Amino acid sequence: MNKDEIKHRLESVEIPEPGQDAKERALKLTMAEFNRLPTGTDQKNIKGISMVGRLIGKLLKGGPAMRKPLYISAGLAMGFMALIIVIIPRAGRFGSNLPADMKVESLLRSYSPAKAPQSKLTNHSAPSPVAAMRAGKQSYKDIAAAPMIKGSKRDGFQDQTYVGRDRFENFKPNPVQLVSEAPVSTFSIDVDTASYAFVRKALNRGVLPPKHSVRIEELINYFDYAYPIPGDRNLPFKPTISVFPTPWNPDTKIIHIGIKGLEIVPEKRPKANLVFLIDVSGSMQNQDKLPLLKNAFRMLVETLGSEDTVSIVVYAGAAGTVLEPTKATEKGKILSALDALRAGGSTAGGEGIRRAYDLAVANYDPDGVNRVILATDGDFNVGIRNPEELKGYVERKRKTGIYLSVLGFGQGNYNDALMQKLAQNGNGNAAYIDTLNEARKVLVDEAVSTLFPIANDVKIQVEFNPAEVAEYRLIGYETRQLRREDFNNDRVDAGDVGSGHSVTALYEITLVDSKGKLIDELRYSDDETADKSGTAKRSGEYAFLKIRYKIPGTQASNLITEPIGTAVEYSSFSKVPSEARFGSAVAAFGQLLREDPFIKTFEYDDVIAIANESKGKDEFGYRAEFVNLVRLAKTARSM
Amino acid sequence: MEPIDDMELIDLAKSGNSRAMEDLFETYYMTVYRLAYKWCGIKEDAEDIAQEVFIKLVKKLNTFSQKSSFKTWLYRIVINTAKDFARQRATKWAYESAFIHQQRSTNPGHIEKDRLITIRLFADIHKLPEKQKEAILLVFGEGLSHKEAAQIIGCAETTVSWRIHQARKKLKKSHELEI
Repeated sequence: MNKDEIKHRLESVEIPEPGQDAKERALKLTMAEFNRLPTGTDQKNIKGISMVGRLIGKLLKGGPAMRKPLYISAGLAMGFMALIIVIIPRAGRFGSNLPADMKVESLLRSYSPAKAPQSKLTNHSAPSPVAAMRAGKQSYKDIAAAPMIKGSKRDGFQDQTYVGRDRFENFKPNPVQLVSEAPVSTFSIDVDTASYAFVRKALNRGVLPPKHSVRIEELINYFDYAYPIPGDRNLPFKPTISVFPTPWNPDTKIIHIGIKGLEIVPEKRPKANLVFLIDVSGSMQNQDKLPLLKNAFRMLVETLGSEDTVSIVVYAGAAGTVLEPTKATEKGKILSALDALRAGGSTAGGEGIRRAYDLAVANYDPDGVNRVILATDGDFNVGIRNPEELKGYVERKRKTGIYLSVLGFGQGNYNDALMQKLAQNGNGNAAYIDTLNEARKVLVDEAVSTLFPIANDVKIQVEFNPAEVAEYRLIGYETRQLRREDFNNDRVDAGDVGSGHSVTALYEITLVDSKGKLIDELRYSDDETADKSGTAKRSGEYAFLKIRYKIPGTQASNLITEPIGTAVEYSSFSKVPSEARFGSAVAAFGQLLREDPFIKTFEYDDVIAIANESKGKDEFGYRAEFVNLVRLAKTARSM
Repeated sequence: MEPIDDMELIDLAKSGNSRAMEDLFETYYMTVYRLAYKWCGIKEDAEDIAQEVFIKLVKKLNTFSQKSSFKTWLYRIVINTAKDFARQRATKWAYESAFIHQQRSTNPGHIEKDRLITIRLFADIHKLPEKQKEAILLVFGEGLSHKEAAQIIGCAETTVSWRIHQARKKLKKSHELEI
């Protein structure tokens, strides 16, 4: 066993999460000890008004941290509250529903609130998850801005779940909706596939993936589906719709919506201006990180055209430009720069991401694809520590035409939640690379689709017909929900479809006459009102699909509409086209992994049966691999 | 936005700012817990060790001087606390088997070969003399340099290198026996 292997094994050993109660107890005892000791008491006295002036001055400046704890009586504090809340945008680690005086008191007790604690120690291999979570989740969120983001889930960093040191955003499956109450469902498409690779990695290790790492839409969209592409070359894609009996529930039906983007023929594709932003911090030295990353980028470089350019920026101890923009014709130069990368360096920081964007700007091609490709294991010490700020930065850059893709590597430190957020805000895609095969899939086979978007801000809205459908639920896309009014608002960002990409969404619907309804009818509902208001009972039409998208480079969106009705319905599951059947199998698998409540008697073996029958041509063996994963899931135990 | 660094946090905590102390706790709890777990292999013990470490940290905070790095200082407290703990708690073979037991119980029934090797490696590390074990865990487990490890353990850099060398010889032997 060599050094690296010992290191790797010591790093990868599974460590059970400490009990929350044990941690709280430790904190209580620590603080009790802290308060008992003289250091903790000598300065906790009331200070005069002059301190308030100094306090506000310091808060405004965000300068050197407050050295002294302050206590101000509630009355006095109230007077300053409004002022303080307005002038300190990043003051709150406290929910806005705290009593005002408590909020101010806590605020005043705190040291410089504009700063997130940074850990030098843990940067060594990873930022302290706790510190990062605090920075992201509760500590330094905008109080002043809070009401504005409220209700808009996609803007906020939500709760995250830790699995080892990997971080995932928490979410619940979409609830069953009553058509009479919420007839319209709106979401942004998602072409990320990171979740599938993460699930695969866990299952290959013999453990079930953590529930929150399973995003069903990403499992489904991992696979390429042979949906027909539009005959009209002016349209970037067209929806393929089918309705069929739900394999896991005899009382419901599935609405299957598939989209396949036009493929850009390689000769016609725009020039690419790519900047690799590579994490070379100490934690990247495992075999499944930097070495895999180098191989992956090497493959990508091989596929580039002669006009494309590549630059490389690394970050760890210090951010540095390893390779100035270089034409792909000088392949040797690029490859040797890649080869020279070594993991090492323990401190955070640098200007990594800014420098990468600067290079992209310097080499900007208005007609080409300008993209920063960030490769990391989750150590986002890229110079901007606050996730909200980082997100904002990426979003502003997106508006200048530079997109961001995020490639995740390794395990143990993987910050899934942040990667997703970044990629979403940067108009990019997030992928998780666990094997060289996956690298080939993402960077070579799908390079064209991941690098060249053919439609931006693709949103889907489905309106259900209450005369036919009683209940519906969207399977997956929990983290991609949009508000109804966002659909027509072209300023609201959404996912992009790349050349040749396929995107699939499934709804499970319960018809009005079905006995499988989950929600009781209202006793006092007034049936007549509906009729009076003119809702035509359009029999044979379940729902109406609307898709909005923008042609890259334009600001106004286009609309595609299509009714969903009995015309595209299949009476039995076995008659359904194999692509839709396979998608359903993957959807069922995701729900089983997540232990969602909507799947009752359906089992892994049923998934295997459907997937086996609907594998189709399966040129690269991805679907066969899926069947294997389902088998692994049968025997795996939860983590 | 320039982040607040550890030194500032520590200064603040020293001056009695309890929020800063809480942040120190939050920032380092997992680091401490993970090292403690690797040392002992029992979740409950690692929790207890982590708790003890922070109480000690509060008590000793005033003695911490900026000359030594906080990281070195904290690791030293963790290692010493863990050692004390092991002494109180029967013998280390208990840890060795407890580790295997706990690793198995988190994933009963199915342990693939790769994981088994990791578990065995840990069991072997727990069999090492304490001094070699701490050297291995700090250098390989935490990724520290020999120099940093030497500062934590309080010995010469060459001593650390020697202990690592010895430890690796033993690990290698035991690994070969198993295969």
